Amino acid sequence: MGAEEAWLLAAIPAGVFLVLALFGRALPRGGDYLGVAAILSSFLLFFVVLVDFLDTPGKLGPVVNDIEWSSIGENFDLRMGIYVDPITIVMFAVVTTVALMVNIFSIGYMKGEPRYYWFFAVLQLFVASMLLLVMADNLLLVYISWELVGVCSFLLIGFYWEKRSATEAAKKAFVTTRIGDVGLLIGILMLWKATGTFNIQEIIHHVEEGGVGQNYLFAAVAFVFLGCMGKSAQVPFHVWLPDAMEGPTPVSALIHAATMVVAGVYLTARLLPLFEVADGALLMVTIVGLTTALLTGFMALAQTDIKKVLAYSTVGQLGFMFVALGAGHPAVAMFHLMTHAFFKALLFLGSGSVIHATHHNQEMDKLGGLWKKMPITGTTFFIGSLALAGLPPLAGFWSKDEIFVVLNDKWGAWAVVILAFAAVMTAFYTTRLFIRTFMGTPRDKDVHDHTEESGLVMTGPLMFLAFLAVVSGFVVFHGVGKALGFPGGITEFIFLPHHGPHKYHFDLAWAAASVAMGATGLLLAGWMYWGNSTKRSTQLAEAQPGLYDLIRNKFYFDELYQAGIDRGMLGFSYVVSWFDRYVVNDTGVDGSAQVTGFSGGVLKYLQTGRLPNYAMAVAVGVVALAVVGLVVRG
Amino acid sequence: MVPLENYLVLSAVMFSLGVYGVLARRNAVLILMSVELMLNAVSLNFVAFAAYLDPDKVLGAIFAVFIITVAAAEVGLALAIVIRLFRNRATSNVDEAASMKW
Repeated sequence: MGAEEAWLLAAIPAGVFLVLALFGRALPRGGDYLGVAAILSSFLLFFVVLVDFLDTPGKLGPVVNDIEWSSIGENFDLRMGIYVDPITIVMFAVVTTVALMVNIFSIGYMKGEPRYYWFFAVLQLFVASMLLLVMADNLLLVYISWELVGVCSFLLIGFYWEKRSATEAAKKAFVTTRIGDVGLLIGILMLWKATGTFNIQEIIHHVEEGGVGQNYLFAAVAFVFLGCMGKSAQVPFHVWLPDAMEGPTPVSALIHAATMVVAGVYLTARLLPLFEVADGALLMVTIVGLTTALLTGFMALAQTDIKKVLAYSTVGQLGFMFVALGAGHPAVAMFHLMTHAFFKALLFLGSGSVIHATHHNQEMDKLGGLWKKMPITGTTFFIGSLALAGLPPLAGFWSKDEIFVVLNDKWGAWAVVILAFAAVMTAFYTTRLFIRTFMGTPRDKDVHDHTEESGLVMTGPLMFLAFLAVVSGFVVFHGVGKALGFPGGITEFIFLPHHGPHKYHFDLAWAAASVAMGATGLLLAGWMYWGNSTKRSTQLAEAQPGLYDLIRNKFYFDELYQAGIDRGMLGFSYVVSWFDRYVVNDTGVDGSAQVTGFSGGVLKYLQTGRLPNYAMAVAVGVVALAVVGLVVRG
Repeated sequence: MVPLENYLVLSAVMFSLGVYGVLARRNAVLILMSVELMLNAVSLNFVAFAAYLDPDKVLGAIFAVFIITVAAAEVGLALAIVIRLFRNRATSNVDEAASMKW
């Protein structure tokens, strides 16, 4: 088989989903081995696809395999198929690798949980949908799988549905992303109306030929981007992601850090030629990315829940990716997407290991001093933290550094300053997270005493991901890429057709600046939190109570939305409900019934029961008809 | 040969008498007889037109035979109803049987 059969990657987990969903309850161990086997086969098949793709003559040409799906009339011919190009390959690598690690990790983490089989079933469905999403060759298929991953996210956030907060979070995630999805659908339909096709490449071709007006194109692209913002939790849609941490931690690692939330980045990268043609679209992407990176940087500063800190950092890093896209460099965005997926999955699984070991304790105020107790988790978490903080030679450094370079080339210093500020904060809260969890002395002796290092089934994936968090950044170098069989570094692998490969070159000044940002945040956090002390941070909070409250309450976004729902939404609903009750129901439905009843009450007296009356009526009727007939005929 | 108009006039007179009987009489049996009168008027029309338009074909006559057959069945049914009415109410006056109303 070759790259044309890449659909098998998604088909296998989809099949296993059906088996698990129907029979998982009856299988020994809930069929978790089937899940791991399915993902493992997708993971292995990915290498088959990769080798075939790299061997394809006409280097790096996309591989297309499509079938007719439905045909209506002469002009409407709907095709469905797969489209494998370098972006898809990178997404394949990320999704299959992280999914495999998360599946293995879950065997340990989810042990003894209720609905164990169902967890693995939905995980398979998610992987299948996500793989389908990244290889779909047309927007309709993208939309279908887009919604499918959304459903999986909903199901897994609400996995512990006995907890009210979990069902609320699932609902919030679903509704918030749905607002964006409506935009996506409108955008897709607008593009279809203008070009007459759903096929992504044909749309891009059509647009590049200048077949679509500027304003119309901008509107369509903005609507599509709305969907991307919802899915990738960009401000102002970011509110659902921190709440999504109610789901089991492996789910947070897979769906809400490494794969599903980057779907927005993926789709924007895929459609970037449209953004480039539409005036101002790239600036819009940049501003959204910068705003998100900055605001969520602030929000993460004052969180005490491990997973919430990581969630805000995820949103912020997604902002970094959008900044790279806004600078017109999908390769850089995809590079950061990949390194981020590895180290953020590592961090989430590490936090999962901590939570599992401390019997579901995820408040930093009760942790501390865990490194000695959990050496493997602690060490891998340390590596992940440094990667997130962006210190060399870890993966996060290379990709973040490159974002700064392209951002400076495209938009100049003002954007770089904002992003640098966000990067410093990232390093700060990551260090704070690490110190408060793993360093110092335990703050809750009881929790600390009962903590043990997790088993190999959990630490194994941690170590593998830590390895990737160290080395995955090196693929940017020409030599490393060549050695792996690629045409060069990752930025020479992924590029927009008419741009040509963008060769990476190491710039010492930028690297130094990047290291300085990471080190600043790291040292500041160290100064503030080292040695189990919160004295300095408390002083700072008391010195600036207004600012602290603002950050602590996450800029009051949730309160604002709640007020919007309470006032605007409920007020509108009240009007609608009044209209429904008094106009539709009382006047329309009941009204027509009353008119019928009243007229029946009057007209019933015509039914005298006397035969002569009826006979007379018939006779008069016949005569009347005869007269009418005569008159009409003249 | 008797002209067509004579038949038509006779038929119209018979029909009108029948209508008058149905509307004016209260006795169920008499009403039935009036209905028969109307039916026969119609039959007469058919036969007269058949003979007038195309003497070789007997289409109108066939209709008359059908009407007689149907009328016989109808009278059988109607008389059965009249008998039931008489058994229940001891009368054949249709004004007495006026309970099927609002």
